[in-house]
Amino acid sequence: MLSYFITGPFIYLSVIVFVVIAGYKVMSYQKMPRHLRWDLYPVPHQGPEGSKYQKIDFYKKVPVFSIAHEMLAMSQEMIFIKKAFDHNRRLWIGTWPLHMGIYLSGLWLVLLVFGWMLDIQGEMMLIGSNLIAWAVAKLTIFVGAAAFTMGLFGSIVLLWLRLSNADLRYIADFVTYLNLCLMVAIFGTGLAAWLTVDPFFDLIRQNVIALLTFQASPVTEPAVVIEMLIFGMFLLYLPFSRMMHFVAKYFFYHNIMWDDEPMVPQSALENDVKKSLTYSPRWSSGHIATGKAWTELAALQEKEAEKQHEETNSR
Amino acid sequence: MKKQIRVKDIGADDAVLTPLTSEDIQPLLNHDEKPFRTIKAETKERFDYSLDGFSGLTLPIPKTKEEEERIVNSFLAGLEKLFEKESNWAFLQPTTLSTQYCMQCNTCNEACPIYTESGRQDIYRPNYRPEVLRRIYHRYFTKAGKLLGKWSGADVELNWRVVYHLAELAYRCTICRRCASVCPVGVDNALLTRELRKLFSQEMGIAPDNVHKSGSVLHMRTGSSTGMTPAAFLNNIEFIEEIIEEKLDRKIKIPVDKKGADILLIHNAGEYMAWPENPAAFAILFEAAGLNWTLSSDVMGYEGVNYGVWYDDVQFAKVALAQIEAAKRLGVKKIVVGECGHATKALVSIADRLCVGDNVIPRESCLPLLESFVTKGLIRFDPSRNDFPVTLHDPCNMVRLMGIVSPQRTILRHITPPGRFREMPNSGVDNYCCGGGSGFAIMNTNNFGEWRDNVACRMKARQVLTAFEDCLDPSIPKYYCAPCSNCKGAARDALMEHYGFRDKYNIIYGGLVELMVNAMVDTPRPFISWEEDF
Repeated sequence: MLSYFITGPFIYLSVIVFVVIAGYKVMSYQKMPRHLRWDLYPVPHQGPEGSKYQKIDFYKKVPVFSIAHEMLAMSQEMIFIKKAFDHNRRLWIGTWPLHMGIYLSGLWLVLLVFGWMLDIQGEMMLIGSNLIAWAVAKLTIFVGAAAFTMGLFGSIVLLWLRLSNADLRYIADFVTYLNLCLMVAIFGTGLAAWLTVDPFFDLIRQNVIALLTFQASPVTEPAVVIEMLIFGMFLLYLPFSRMMHFVAKYFFYHNIMWDDEPMVPQSALENDVKKSLTYSPRWSSGHIATGKAWTELAALQEKEAEKQHEETNSR
Repeated sequence: MKKQIRVKDIGADDAVLTPLTSEDIQPLLNHDEKPFRTIKAETKERFDYSLDGFSGLTLPIPKTKEEEERIVNSFLAGLEKLFEKESNWAFLQPTTLSTQYCMQCNTCNEACPIYTESGRQDIYRPNYRPEVLRRIYHRYFTKAGKLLGKWSGADVELNWRVVYHLAELAYRCTICRRCASVCPVGVDNALLTRELRKLFSQEMGIAPDNVHKSGSVLHMRTGSSTGMTPAAFLNNIEFIEEIIEEKLDRKIKIPVDKKGADILLIHNAGEYMAWPENPAAFAILFEAAGLNWTLSSDVMGYEGVNYGVWYDDVQFAKVALAQIEAAKRLGVKKIVVGECGHATKALVSIADRLCVGDNVIPRESCLPLLESFVTKGLIRFDPSRNDFPVTLHDPCNMVRLMGIVSPQRTILRHITPPGRFREMPNSGVDNYCCGGGSGFAIMNTNNFGEWRDNVACRMKARQVLTAFEDCLDPSIPKYYCAPCSNCKGAARDALMEHYGFRDKYNIIYGGLVELMVNAMVDTPRPFISWEEDF
């Protein structure tokens, strides 16, 4: 009964909670007002010529947008975590394999489904009969093993750094240790299940397919059930944690650091900002008139400046 | 001696949380470290110096429990407003994300010159003050924080000392954003420093006098953060015309209030007061290039600074829009901002999204225009006139925060003989702040200037020494080119005065335009001198 619940309804619940909460968070960030410019250079999509501010009358020119340069910069960050490599090599030794473990886990899940479609069972040794199925079977084992091994290695390295390095230990809060322990548990239970009871990933494949086809999972092997339990707990916790930085990173780069969209009259941006300017800030300091909208606050200064301009001219 | 200060220790009731001494900071070549000035006991009883022994804000120590509670409650009220769109639409998304997603990896720490040069004091880590902010926010404004406390990372107990320490700490960062540029996630701890400053100014009325009362408020009252009125401005223009006549043996009439001109040039008004050779050089160059340009004597039309960009969105918006209005009254085609980093970034970049409706006028940096004088052959230069070592300081606001990297280098390579221009280590977008950024260059009350010169400006001093390491002998005159007013202020106070660069190594500082005029073929005498003091 317990294994039925963990490998079935519990995972459905975890996925639903993750999708709803993560989706809600993404929407809430997306709906936030367009902020003032806060770019940070270099902005890759501006291409090899660099910032448009280096040109006279840049506002008359069509802005350069090089998707290739942006994709390259994004890939370097996503796949290689280049900033950590360049500026914190010791950390990178742990964080890169951990993130690669996560990416490979995603690929491994896809391969599990693909393998089900090819009716893979056990190790497909007969190359002559079905080369593709054999290759997918081998690749699934390789990718899965690599995912768990790299993920476990990376999370152990990061946990060890946290515990042994005074600088990292001093800034860490309880949640940081909890997150790392959870990563060790996810990858550790996955690796343990593979090594002990599921060398060809048949059991986990059966479980994944049962979930996708809304059938009861036939899997009761404790190692695999524990693996599913840890994974479900991770999914439930993830959207509430700072491990959602994989979503935040998109906003940091695309919506903030690389957001060089100029103000254009009658654009969606202008409409957004005009709406924001109608808000009334609640700040209490003496130099901020209470109850006035942002447009009125700025207009107060314009009126004052015009008055001074007239006084100056009349002298 | 370095004392480890955990995040939750920020409110500790120590006499001084992190007593910084001159022995703590990183040694610098040929510089004798003197002990820091002692603050009188009676001063410390009245005003708070308990963060690190320095004070940038002159915060009065509360005398009653009610005063202490008022400080805490006011801070919490402000903290709540930082995360609501009505009060903080302008930076809500970046602030929210940077508050929520720091992974505590410390990658930002080694990028911060203040942290490294201070002897790696914990409180100056770029992630220390934001981490305090995060944990307070978490504790007082999230369900998990209220229920679980330290088990959810909310382990900072708020008291008046925490608030005061945060206020002072907000002025131990130049907002150079070097930390943000190395963060693997994209978190911007410098932005959170600015948000803290906003909270203190916009809610609690706390800001350095030089920046607020004698800064942006004075600016809007008189026309300039220097207090220079339109009448005084016009007198200064006459003085600058005299300087030009002395240098060129001929008169140039500087156009003022010329309606419909192509360009309104707007300087940091400090240039007129402290470095009049800079606006003089602009006038010479613009005249030689045959530009249709003007200055403005309109109140809000001759002062390019916008101190609000460092600490207060309301002040920022008021100043930016008033500057744009002044340009529109004159009917100019565009505004060109002179050599001032924060003024350029404020007006050209950040204020861009405030330009709605008819609040529109093109604005750009002076550097591409100056580059065109060289690349289009509008002016003839003789590089042999600048036959001395030159190094370039990259103002954070123009370079890392606007990407203006190449025009100034193209100019320098053209107006100096081959091999004379040398880059500093970590140049371009990786540059280090001069130490005067975010208002530090003008903050001289109490003993803040001592902290600034010794800690914030130290990395720049180190960079300059490295750039000139093969020619430090004082028999070789050298030029530190800093195309930014506040960076020049830091150079004057820290590099020249405090570190003795002029006396020890014969290094002088100045902008880019002075160097350009020095190389003009038809000027009868050098524009730059190692003997004169402006």
